Amino acid sequence: MLLSVLVACVLLLSAQAPARNRSGSVLRSWILSAVAPAASAVSAVSRAATGAVDSVGQTLRAADENAVLREKLAARDRELFHLRAVAAQAERDRLLAAAAPSMPNVLVSAPVLLIERRAGLQSALVGAGSREGAVEGSPLAVAEGLVGRVVSVGISIARAQLLTDASAAVGARIARTGELGVVRGDGRGGLRLNNVPITSSVRAGDDIESAGIDGIYPRGVPIGRVESVARGSNLFLEIRLHPAADFSRLTDVLVLAPSPASTEVPAGPRSASP
Amino acid sequence: MKLRRVVLLLAAAAALSFLFGASGHRDAWPVDWFLIAVAAVAREGNFVKAVLTGASAGLLEDALTQPMLGFNAFAKSAIGYGLALVAMRVVLGGAVAVGAALALASLANDAIVAVLASLLMQAPIVLGTRESLWRAATTGITAGMLEAAAKFPWREWWEKRRLRRLR
Repeated sequence: MLLSVLVACVLLLSAQAPARNRSGSVLRSWILSAVAPAASAVSAVSRAATGAVDSVGQTLRAADENAVLREKLAARDRELFHLRAVAAQAERDRLLAAAAPSMPNVLVSAPVLLIERRAGLQSALVGAGSREGAVEGSPLAVAEGLVGRVVSVGISIARAQLLTDASAAVGARIARTGELGVVRGDGRGGLRLNNVPITSSVRAGDDIESAGIDGIYPRGVPIGRVESVARGSNLFLEIRLHPAADFSRLTDVLVLAPSPASTEVPAGPRSASP
Repeated sequence: MKLRRVVLLLAAAAALSFLFGASGHRDAWPVDWFLIAVAAVAREGNFVKAVLTGASAGLLEDALTQPMLGFNAFAKSAIGYGLALVAMRVVLGGAVAVGAALALASLANDAIVAVLASLLMQAPIVLGTRESLWRAATTGITAGMLEAAAKFPWREWWEKRRLRRLR
Protein backbone atom coordinates (compact mmCIF):
# COMPACT_ATOMS: atom_id res chain seq x y z
CA MET A 1 0.00 0.00 0.00
CA LEU A 2 2.73 2.38 1.02
CA LEU A 3 4.65 1.54 -2.01
CA SER A 4 1.66 2.22 -4.15
CA VAL A 5 1.08 5.55 -2.57
CA LEU A 6 4.72 6.47 -2.95
CA VAL A 7 4.77 5.52 -6.56
CA ALA A 8 1.60 7.49 -7.16
CA CYS A 9 3.13 10.49 -5.49
CA VAL A 10 6.29 10.21 -7.48
CA LEU A 11 4.24 9.96 -10.62
CA LEU A 12 2.18 12.92 -9.68
CA LEU A 13 5.23 14.95 -8.90
CA SER A 14 6.96 13.89 -11.97
CA ALA A 15 3.96 14.74 -14.02
CA GLN A 16 4.25 18.27 -12.77
CA ALA A 17 8.01 18.56 -12.97
CA PRO A 18 9.33 20.09 -16.19
CA ALA A 19 11.55 17.88 -18.30
CA ARG A 20 15.22 18.87 -18.66
CA ASN A 21 15.86 20.87 -21.80
CA ARG A 22 12.57 19.68 -23.16
CA SER A 23 9.07 20.94 -23.37
CA GLY A 24 6.47 18.87 -21.48
CA SER A 25 6.81 16.85 -18.34
CA VAL A 26 9.23 14.13 -17.31
CA LEU A 27 6.40 11.59 -17.16
CA ARG A 28 5.30 12.46 -20.64
CA SER A 29 8.88 12.29 -21.75
CA TRP A 30 9.26 8.87 -20.16
CA ILE A 31 6.05 7.66 -21.69
CA LEU A 32 7.00 8.98 -25.06
CA SER A 33 10.45 7.48 -24.79
CA ALA A 34 8.96 4.13 -23.85
CA VAL A 35 6.36 4.18 -26.54
CA ALA A 36 8.62 5.52 -29.28
CA PRO A 37 10.23 2.23 -30.40
CA ALA A 38 6.95 0.40 -30.49
CA ALA A 39 5.28 3.28 -32.24
CA SER A 40 8.09 3.48 -34.71
CA ALA A 41 7.98 -0.24 -35.33
CA VAL A 42 4.24 -0.33 -35.72
CA SER A 43 4.35 2.75 -37.87
CA ALA A 44 7.05 1.23 -40.04
CA VAL A 45 5.04 -1.94 -40.46
CA SER A 46 1.96 0.10 -41.19
CA ARG A 47 3.81 2.21 -43.73
CA ALA A 48 5.29 -0.88 -45.31
CA ALA A 49 1.92 -2.56 -45.51
CA THR A 50 0.27 0.57 -46.85
CA GLY A 51 3.11 1.02 -49.28
CA ALA A 52 2.81 -2.56 -50.42
CA VAL A 53 -0.92 -2.26 -50.89
CA ASP A 54 -0.44 1.06 -52.63
CA SER A 55 2.27 -0.32 -54.86
CA VAL A 56 0.15 -3.32 -55.78
CA GLY A 57 -2.70 -0.99 -56.57
CA GLN A 58 -0.41 1.32 -58.48
CA THR A 59 1.04 -1.60 -60.38
CA LEU A 60 -2.40 -2.77 -61.32
CA ARG A 61 -3.45 0.75 -62.21
CA ALA A 62 -0.19 1.25 -64.11
CA ALA A 63 -0.77 -1.92 -66.09
CA ASP A 64 -4.24 -0.74 -67.00
CA GLU A 65 -2.94 2.74 -67.67
CA ASN A 66 -0.11 1.29 -69.72
CA ALA A 67 -2.54 -0.68 -71.85
CA VAL A 68 -4.71 2.41 -72.32
CA LEU A 69 -1.66 4.52 -73.18
CA ARG A 70 -0.43 1.91 -75.63
CA GLU A 71 -3.80 1.90 -77.32
CA LYS A 72 -3.80 5.69 -77.40
CA LEU A 73 -0.27 5.72 -78.79
CA ALA A 74 -1.17 3.17 -81.44
CA ALA A 75 -4.24 5.25 -82.34
CA ARG A 76 -2.08 8.37 -82.50
CA ASP A 77 0.45 6.53 -84.68
CA ARG A 78 -2.29 5.44 -87.02
CA GLU A 79 -3.67 8.96 -87.06
CA LEU A 80 -0.21 10.36 -87.71
CA PHE A 81 0.36 7.90 -90.54
CA HIS A 82 -3.01 8.79 -92.01
CA LEU A 83 -2.39 12.51 -91.60
CA ARG A 84 1.00 12.24 -93.23
CA ALA A 85 -0.57 10.46 -96.18
CA VAL A 86 -3.33 13.06 -96.31
CA ALA A 87 -0.80 15.87 -96.08
CA ALA A 88 1.31 14.37 -98.85
CA GLN A 89 -1.78 13.92 -101.00
CA ALA A 90 -2.92 17.46 -100.19
CA GLU A 91 0.49 18.79 -101.18
CA ARG A 92 0.30 16.93 -104.50
CA ASP A 93 -3.27 18.15 -105.00
CA ARG A 94 -2.15 21.69 -104.19
CA LEU A 95 0.63 21.50 -106.77
CA LEU A 96 -1.79 20.11 -109.33
CA ALA A 97 -4.44 22.70 -108.43
CA ALA A 98 -1.83 25.43 -108.81
CA ALA A 99 -1.00 24.08 -112.23
CA ALA A 100 -4.59 23.57 -113.28
CA PRO A 101 -5.27 27.19 -114.27
CA SER A 102 -2.30 27.09 -116.61
CA MET A 103 -3.69 24.00 -118.34
CA PRO A 104 -6.64 24.30 -120.69
CA ASN A 105 -9.84 22.36 -120.10
CA VAL A 106 -8.84 20.44 -117.02
CA LEU A 107 -11.40 17.73 -116.30
CA VAL A 108 -10.09 16.16 -113.15
CA SER A 109 -6.95 15.16 -111.33
CA ALA A 110 -6.38 11.42 -111.13
CA PRO A 111 -3.94 9.12 -109.36
CA VAL A 112 -1.50 7.04 -111.37
CA LEU A 113 -2.18 3.43 -110.45
CA LEU A 114 0.45 1.65 -112.45
CA ILE A 115 3.22 2.43 -114.89
CA GLU A 116 4.64 -0.15 -117.26
CA ARG A 117 7.86 0.35 -119.16
CA ARG A 118 8.64 -2.62 -121.31
CA ALA A 119 10.52 -2.83 -124.57
CA GLY A 120 9.92 0.78 -125.53
CA LEU A 121 6.22 0.62 -124.75
CA GLN A 122 5.55 2.99 -121.90
CA SER A 123 2.04 3.20 -120.53
CA ALA A 124 0.19 4.13 -117.39
CA LEU A 125 -3.04 3.22 -115.72
CA VAL A 126 -4.82 6.25 -114.22
CA GLY A 127 -7.70 6.31 -111.79
CA ALA A 128 -10.15 8.30 -113.89
CA GLY A 129 -12.50 7.02 -116.55
CA SER A 130 -15.61 7.86 -118.50
CA ARG A 131 -17.42 8.67 -115.23
CA GLU A 132 -14.98 11.54 -114.69
CA GLY A 133 -15.25 12.67 -118.29
CA ALA A 134 -12.08 11.10 -119.67
CA VAL A 135 -12.34 9.96 -123.27
CA GLU A 136 -9.90 8.38 -125.69
CA GLY A 137 -7.40 11.03 -126.60
CA SER A 138 -7.70 13.04 -123.38
CA PRO A 139 -4.28 14.56 -122.77
CA LEU A 140 -2.61 14.04 -119.41
CA ALA A 141 -0.39 16.62 -117.78
CA VAL A 142 1.27 17.52 -114.53
CA ALA A 143 2.35 20.91 -113.22
CA GLU A 144 5.60 20.72 -115.16
CA GLY A 145 4.17 19.70 -118.52
CA LEU A 146 2.59 17.09 -120.76
CA VAL A 147 2.65 13.45 -119.74
CA GLY A 148 0.73 11.58 -122.43
CA ARG A 149 -2.76 10.78 -123.59
CA VAL A 150 -5.54 8.38 -122.73
CA VAL A 151 -5.82 5.52 -125.21
CA SER A 152 -8.55 3.35 -123.71
CA VAL A 153 -11.18 4.22 -121.15
CA GLY A 154 -13.10 2.23 -118.57
CA ILE A 155 -15.77 3.50 -116.23
CA SER A 156 -13.37 4.63 -113.54
CA ILE A 157 -9.99 3.73 -114.95
CA ALA A 158 -8.11 4.55 -118.13
CA ARG A 159 -4.96 3.39 -119.85
CA ALA A 160 -2.65 6.05 -121.14
CA GLN A 161 0.29 6.16 -123.50
CA LEU A 162 3.16 8.14 -122.06
CA LEU A 163 5.02 10.68 -124.17
CA THR A 164 8.18 8.64 -123.73
CA ASP A 165 6.60 5.63 -125.45
CA ALA A 166 8.51 4.73 -128.60
CA SER A 167 5.41 5.19 -130.73
CA ALA A 168 4.08 8.39 -129.12
CA ALA A 169 4.15 11.67 -131.04
CA VAL A 170 3.11 15.26 -130.32
CA GLY A 171 2.96 18.26 -132.59
CA ALA A 172 5.40 20.70 -131.00
CA ARG A 173 6.88 24.12 -131.46
CA ILE A 174 10.01 25.78 -130.25
CA ALA A 175 8.78 28.48 -127.86
CA ARG A 176 11.55 30.97 -128.75
CA THR A 177 11.38 30.76 -132.51
CA GLY A 178 7.90 29.36 -133.12
CA GLU A 179 9.22 26.67 -135.46
CA LEU A 180 7.20 23.48 -135.62
CA GLY A 181 8.29 19.91 -135.27
CA VAL A 182 7.17 16.54 -133.96
CA VAL A 183 8.21 15.28 -130.56
CA ARG A 184 8.57 11.52 -130.33
CA GLY A 185 9.40 9.29 -127.40
CA ASP A 186 12.53 7.20 -127.68
CA GLY A 187 11.21 4.36 -125.53
CA ARG A 188 14.00 4.87 -123.04
CA GLY A 189 12.59 7.75 -121.05
CA GLY A 190 13.79 10.53 -123.34
CA LEU A 191 12.25 12.59 -126.13
CA ARG A 192 13.32 13.65 -129.60
CA LEU A 193 12.20 16.62 -131.63
CA ASN A 194 11.98 15.60 -135.27
CA ASN A 195 11.28 17.41 -138.50
CA VAL A 196 13.15 20.57 -137.60
CA PRO A 197 15.20 21.69 -140.62
CA ILE A 198 18.94 22.26 -140.35
CA THR A 199 18.35 25.95 -141.08
CA SER A 200 16.65 26.31 -137.67
CA SER A 201 18.31 28.39 -134.97
CA VAL A 202 17.22 26.03 -132.20
CA ARG A 203 19.81 25.59 -129.47
CA ALA A 204 20.26 23.75 -126.20
CA GLY A 205 18.09 25.18 -123.45
CA ASP A 206 15.19 26.17 -125.72
CA ASP A 207 11.78 25.33 -124.33
CA ILE A 208 9.54 23.09 -126.41
CA GLU A 209 5.77 23.22 -126.01
CA SER A 210 2.81 21.58 -127.66
CA ALA A 211 1.77 23.23 -130.90
CA GLY A 212 -1.87 22.21 -130.87
CA ILE A 213 -1.68 21.05 -134.47
CA ASP A 214 -2.35 17.39 -133.88
CA GLY A 215 -5.94 17.72 -132.72
CA ILE A 216 -5.15 15.93 -129.47
CA TYR A 217 -2.90 18.04 -127.34
CA PRO A 218 -3.73 21.64 -126.49
CA ARG A 219 -1.39 24.39 -127.55
CA GLY A 220 1.26 25.87 -125.28
CA VAL A 221 1.74 23.14 -122.70
CA PRO A 222 5.43 22.54 -121.90
CA ILE A 223 6.89 19.31 -123.24
CA GLY A 224 10.56 19.62 -122.49
CA ARG A 225 13.80 21.49 -122.96
CA VAL A 226 16.37 21.02 -125.70
CA GLU A 227 19.29 19.01 -124.36
CA SER A 228 21.42 18.69 -127.47
CA VAL A 229 21.26 19.59 -131.14
CA ALA A 230 23.17 17.65 -133.76
CA ARG A 231 23.33 17.69 -137.52
CA GLY A 232 21.42 14.69 -138.80
CA SER A 233 22.17 12.59 -141.83
CA ASN A 234 19.53 14.35 -143.92
CA LEU A 235 17.94 17.77 -143.99
CA PHE A 236 16.71 17.66 -140.42
CA LEU A 237 18.41 18.22 -137.11
CA GLU A 238 18.66 15.54 -134.45
CA ILE A 239 17.38 17.19 -131.33
CA ARG A 240 17.22 15.51 -127.96
CA LEU A 241 14.88 16.82 -125.29
CA HIS A 242 14.78 16.50 -121.56
CA PRO A 243 11.11 15.94 -120.62
CA ALA A 244 9.51 18.70 -118.57
CA ALA A 245 7.55 16.18 -116.50
CA ASP A 246 9.39 13.83 -114.18
CA PHE A 247 8.16 10.48 -115.48
CA SER A 248 9.87 8.56 -112.72
CA ARG A 249 7.83 10.27 -110.02
CA LEU A 250 4.34 10.36 -111.48
CA THR A 251 1.77 9.95 -108.75
CA ASP A 252 -1.11 12.17 -109.90
CA VAL A 253 -1.96 13.69 -113.26
CA LEU A 254 -4.42 16.21 -114.63
CA VAL A 255 -6.80 14.83 -117.22
CA LEU A 256 -7.52 17.44 -119.88
CA ALA A 257 -10.31 17.51 -122.38
CA PRO A 258 -9.18 16.65 -125.91
CA SER A 259 -8.39 19.98 -127.38
CA PRO A 260 -8.90 21.36 -130.88
CA ALA A 261 -6.00 23.18 -132.43
CA SER A 262 -7.51 26.54 -131.55
CA THR A 263 -7.14 26.11 -127.78
CA GLU A 264 -4.44 28.37 -126.44
CA VAL A 265 -3.03 28.40 -122.95
CA PRO A 266 -3.64 31.81 -121.39
CA ALA A 267 -0.46 33.81 -120.99
CA GLY A 268 0.55 35.86 -117.96
CA PRO A 269 -1.30 35.42 -114.69
CA ARG A 270 -3.21 32.15 -114.88
CA SER A 271 -6.60 32.61 -113.34
CA ALA A 272 -8.85 30.13 -115.04
CA SER A 273 -10.39 27.59 -112.71
CA PRO A 274 -10.26 23.88 -113.43
CA MET B 1 -0.80 -26.89 -108.37
CA LYS B 2 -4.56 -26.69 -108.22
CA LEU B 3 -6.55 -24.19 -110.22
CA ARG B 4 -7.60 -22.27 -107.12
CA ARG B 5 -3.99 -21.80 -106.08
CA VAL B 6 -3.05 -20.63 -109.55
CA VAL B 7 -5.90 -18.10 -109.47
CA LEU B 8 -4.81 -16.95 -106.03
CA LEU B 9 -1.24 -16.64 -107.27
CA LEU B 10 -2.31 -14.46 -110.19
CA ALA B 11 -4.52 -12.34 -107.93
CA ALA B 12 -1.58 -11.88 -105.57
CA ALA B 13 0.65 -10.90 -108.49
CA ALA B 14 -1.90 -8.33 -109.68
CA ALA B 15 -2.31 -6.98 -106.15
CA LEU B 16 1.45 -6.66 -105.69
CA SER B 17 1.79 -4.98 -109.09
CA PHE B 18 -0.78 -2.39 -108.07
CA LEU B 19 0.67 -2.03 -104.59
CA PHE B 20 4.11 -1.18 -105.91
CA GLY B 21 2.89 0.44 -109.12
CA ALA B 22 0.88 3.12 -107.37
CA SER B 23 3.88 4.26 -105.36
CA GLY B 24 5.90 7.25 -106.42
CA HIS B 25 9.00 5.11 -105.86
CA ARG B 26 7.85 2.35 -108.19
CA ASP B 27 11.09 2.46 -110.15
CA ALA B 28 13.15 1.66 -107.08
CA TRP B 29 12.20 -2.04 -107.13
CA PRO B 30 10.22 -2.81 -110.30
CA VAL B 31 9.50 -6.52 -109.96
CA ASP B 32 7.62 -8.48 -112.64
CA TRP B 33 5.27 -10.24 -110.22
CA PHE B 34 3.33 -11.93 -113.02
CA LEU B 35 6.50 -13.58 -114.27
CA ILE B 36 7.26 -14.89 -110.80
CA ALA B 37 3.73 -16.33 -110.64
CA VAL B 38 4.22 -18.04 -114.00
CA ALA B 39 7.58 -19.43 -112.90
CA ALA B 40 6.07 -20.76 -109.67
CA VAL B 41 3.59 -22.81 -111.71
CA ALA B 42 6.02 -23.77 -114.48
CA ARG B 43 8.64 -25.20 -112.15
CA GLU B 44 6.33 -28.15 -111.48
CA GLY B 45 7.01 -29.26 -115.05
CA ASN B 46 3.39 -29.35 -116.22
CA PHE B 47 3.45 -27.78 -119.70
CA VAL B 48 -0.29 -27.25 -120.03
CA LYS B 49 -0.58 -25.47 -116.71
CA ALA B 50 2.56 -23.43 -117.33
CA VAL B 51 1.41 -22.22 -120.72
CA LEU B 52 -2.14 -21.48 -119.59
CA THR B 53 -0.90 -19.63 -116.52
CA GLY B 54 1.51 -17.66 -118.70
CA ALA B 55 -1.29 -16.76 -121.08
CA SER B 56 -3.62 -15.72 -118.26
CA ALA B 57 -1.00 -13.64 -116.47
CA GLY B 58 0.11 -12.06 -119.74
CA LEU B 59 -3.43 -11.24 -120.79
CA LEU B 60 -4.09 -9.63 -117.44
CA GLU B 61 -0.91 -7.61 -117.75
CA ASP B 62 -1.71 -6.66 -121.34
CA ALA B 63 -5.21 -5.57 -120.38
CA LEU B 64 -3.76 -3.28 -117.76
CA THR B 65 -0.81 -1.79 -119.52
CA GLN B 66 -0.23 -2.74 -123.12
CA PRO B 67 -1.59 -1.17 -126.29
CA MET B 68 -2.48 -4.57 -127.75
CA LEU B 69 -3.76 -7.66 -125.98
CA GLY B 70 -1.40 -10.54 -126.47
CA PHE B 71 2.13 -9.15 -126.25
CA ASN B 72 2.78 -10.37 -122.74
CA ALA B 73 0.38 -13.30 -123.10
CA PHE B 74 2.53 -14.61 -125.96
CA ALA B 75 5.78 -13.87 -124.17
CA LYS B 76 4.75 -15.35 -120.85
CA SER B 77 3.23 -18.46 -122.46
CA ALA B 78 6.52 -19.08 -124.24
CA ILE B 79 8.47 -18.40 -121.07
CA GLY B 80 6.14 -20.67 -119.07
CA TYR B 81 6.75 -23.44 -121.60
CA GLY B 82 10.49 -22.82 -121.51
CA LEU B 83 10.65 -22.86 -117.73
CA ALA B 84 8.55 -26.02 -117.57
CA LEU B 85 10.93 -27.61 -120.08
CA VAL B 86 13.92 -26.61 -117.97
CA ALA B 87 12.19 -27.87 -114.83
CA MET B 88 11.62 -31.23 -116.54
CA ARG B 89 15.23 -31.60 -117.61
CA VAL B 90 17.12 -30.24 -114.63
CA VAL B 91 16.42 -29.72 -111.00
CA LEU B 92 15.74 -26.02 -110.84
CA GLY B 93 16.45 -25.26 -107.21
CA GLY B 94 18.45 -22.91 -105.07
CA ALA B 95 18.04 -19.19 -104.73
CA VAL B 96 20.81 -18.28 -107.16
CA ALA B 97 19.65 -20.63 -109.91
CA VAL B 98 16.03 -19.53 -109.61
CA GLY B 99 17.04 -15.87 -109.46
CA ALA B 100 19.24 -16.16 -112.54
CA ALA B 101 16.53 -18.06 -114.44
CA LEU B 102 13.94 -15.40 -113.62
CA ALA B 103 16.29 -12.56 -114.54
CA LEU B 104 16.91 -14.19 -117.92
CA ALA B 105 13.20 -14.84 -118.32
CA SER B 106 12.46 -11.17 -117.65
CA LEU B 107 14.93 -10.12 -120.35
CA ALA B 108 13.42 -12.69 -122.72
CA ASN B 109 9.96 -11.35 -121.97
CA ASP B 110 11.10 -7.84 -122.91
CA ALA B 111 12.76 -9.09 -126.09
CA ILE B 112 9.65 -10.99 -127.22
CA VAL B 113 7.39 -7.99 -126.50
CA ALA B 114 9.79 -5.69 -128.37
CA VAL B 115 9.83 -7.94 -131.43
CA LEU B 116 6.04 -8.33 -131.40
CA ALA B 117 5.54 -4.56 -131.01
CA SER B 118 7.94 -3.99 -133.85
CA LEU B 119 6.15 -6.47 -136.10
CA LEU B 120 2.60 -5.46 -135.28
CA MET B 121 2.89 -1.77 -134.44
CA GLN B 122 5.99 -0.80 -136.36
CA ALA B 123 7.40 0.43 -133.07
CA PRO B 124 11.19 0.68 -132.90
CA ILE B 125 12.84 -2.22 -131.13
CA VAL B 126 14.08 -0.93 -127.81
CA LEU B 127 16.11 -3.43 -125.86
CA GLY B 128 18.58 -3.36 -123.03
CA THR B 129 17.29 -0.20 -121.44
CA ARG B 130 18.26 0.63 -117.90
CA GLU B 131 14.68 -0.03 -116.74
CA SER B 132 14.64 -3.39 -118.46
CA LEU B 133 17.93 -4.49 -116.93
CA TRP B 134 16.97 -3.23 -113.51
CA ARG B 135 13.60 -5.01 -113.67
CA ALA B 136 15.37 -8.23 -114.65
CA ALA B 137 17.75 -7.82 -111.73
CA THR B 138 15.04 -7.03 -109.19
CA THR B 139 12.80 -9.81 -110.47
CA GLY B 140 15.68 -12.27 -110.20
CA ILE B 141 16.68 -11.12 -106.73
CA THR B 142 13.09 -11.18 -105.48
CA ALA B 143 12.50 -14.64 -106.92
CA GLY B 144 15.75 -15.85 -105.36
CA MET B 145 14.75 -14.46 -101.99
CA LEU B 146 11.31 -16.05 -102.21
CA GLU B 147 12.91 -19.36 -103.14
CA ALA B 148 15.31 -19.10 -100.22
CA ALA B 149 12.46 -18.23 -97.88
CA ALA B 150 10.35 -21.10 -99.19
CA LYS B 151 13.18 -23.60 -98.75
CA PHE B 152 14.30 -22.35 -95.36
CA PRO B 153 13.51 -24.85 -92.57
CA TRP B 154 11.39 -22.45 -90.54
CA ARG B 155 9.96 -25.16 -88.29
CA GLU B 156 13.39 -26.46 -87.20
CA TRP B 157 14.68 -22.96 -86.80
CA TRP B 158 11.75 -22.06 -84.58
CA GLU B 159 12.18 -25.24 -82.53
CA LYS B 160 15.90 -24.58 -82.05
CA ARG B 161 15.17 -21.04 -81.04
CA ARG B 162 12.59 -22.20 -78.51
CA LEU B 163 14.96 -24.78 -77.01
CA ARG B 164 17.74 -22.21 -76.79
CA ARG B 165 15.45 -19.93 -74.84
CA LEU B 166 14.41 -22.70 -72.46
CA ARG B 167 18.01 -23.50 -71.54
